[in-house]
Amino acid sequence: MQPFTLNYARPAVQLDVATPYAYDSGLQLNILPDGRIAATDHATLRALGTTTSTAGSKTHFDD
Amino acid sequence: MTVLILTSEEDVTADMVVLRLGEAGVPVVRLDPADLTNGVALSGEYVHGARHGHLSVGGRLVSMNGLRAIWVRRPGTPAARAAHPSAWLAEESSQALYGMLRCSDARWMNHPDAARRARHKPWQLHLAQRCGLPVPATLITTFPQAAREFAERFPDLVVKPVSGAHPQEPPRAVPTSRVAPDTDFTAVAFGPTLLQRRIAKRADIRLTAVGRTLLAARKPADPDARPEDVDVRFAPSVSPWLPVDVPPRVAESVLRYLADAELAYGAFDFAEDADGIWWFLECNQSGQFGFVEMDTGQPIAATIADWLAGNGDSGRRCAEGDRSAAS
Repeated sequence: MQPFTLNYARPAVQLDVATPYAYDSGLQLNILPDGRIAATDHATLRALGTTTSTAGSKTHFDD
Repeated sequence: MTVLILTSEEDVTADMVVLRLGEAGVPVVRLDPADLTNGVALSGEYVHGARHGHLSVGGRLVSMNGLRAIWVRRPGTPAARAAHPSAWLAEESSQALYGMLRCSDARWMNHPDAARRARHKPWQLHLAQRCGLPVPATLITTFPQAAREFAERFPDLVVKPVSGAHPQEPPRAVPTSRVAPDTDFTAVAFGPTLLQRRIAKRADIRLTAVGRTLLAARKPADPDARPEDVDVRFAPSVSPWLPVDVPPRVAESVLRYLADAELAYGAFDFAEDADGIWWFLECNQSGQFGFVEMDTGQPIAATIADWLAGNGDSGRRCAEGDRSAAS
């Protein structure tokens, strides 16, 4: 009784690593532990995949 | 005049735009509707024929009449982090927040009504056809026999979710997947199934549209890739995204799509075939853009910031797809 499309499902990859930045409500930006703005650290963002298309997020259809 | 950004705290892609707005000296208030009644507060009154409303978060207070633009980026469910969350409270909070915001004269990226409609893939396919974009032959059906006949007409097919959503219990991903020629389509009866002719692609195209500004990026397909590796989000990457010019006819069609969909922002996915034709796959009305900007250096965040600030071509109103409170 499983819908046809779900025959092609695979386990979702869970992002186990904690994001190394925290939201600063004063700046309205995420900040790295060394005080740098996370959005300017492309190496970290690439490593975390936090800006990428994720093939369907949990809460949003639009990736 | 302030730009209101509705998104989650961890949304670092939104940070890229907050930075640009800050550099331009544009006031920003950023909040997540999920924090309503627990860090975010609102108030609005309708008295003697006048309307006033305010939002507050993190010590900031903004008048609803003082908003120049509203960016609906990755907002949480209203009041999801309230002390006692419930479906009822979420609906109450949603009606209060978005109802008040709809009263403002701010420009939206994207208006909730336009966004809701634009998420429907069958509607996207139809609009793309109407706008002159090539659309791969597609069938959405719960009839197994219709699926079998479609597979006879188009033997090389892929399947993908109609909604783009993925099952959560347990969490699973459903990438666009190739359908084997001898597939049994009986289970099509158990859920709407989207089958589409596979485009033998030589590249993926991501076209990010902001107002009337079109920024396209191209990722060449791996010439040694297996035909089963259909979905660029799951396939091994052999090349970064690279900037590419938008063919004039595609640009014309995309701008028409945005106008008809009343969208100020859209992330279009195309598959480029061996003849260089860009086949429309979908338009994500809130698609990610950070990964494209980081690879290509294209100023997507700055362009969004400009649009939100009301600069350049983005300063125009409904003709470019933005909606005001009158909608």
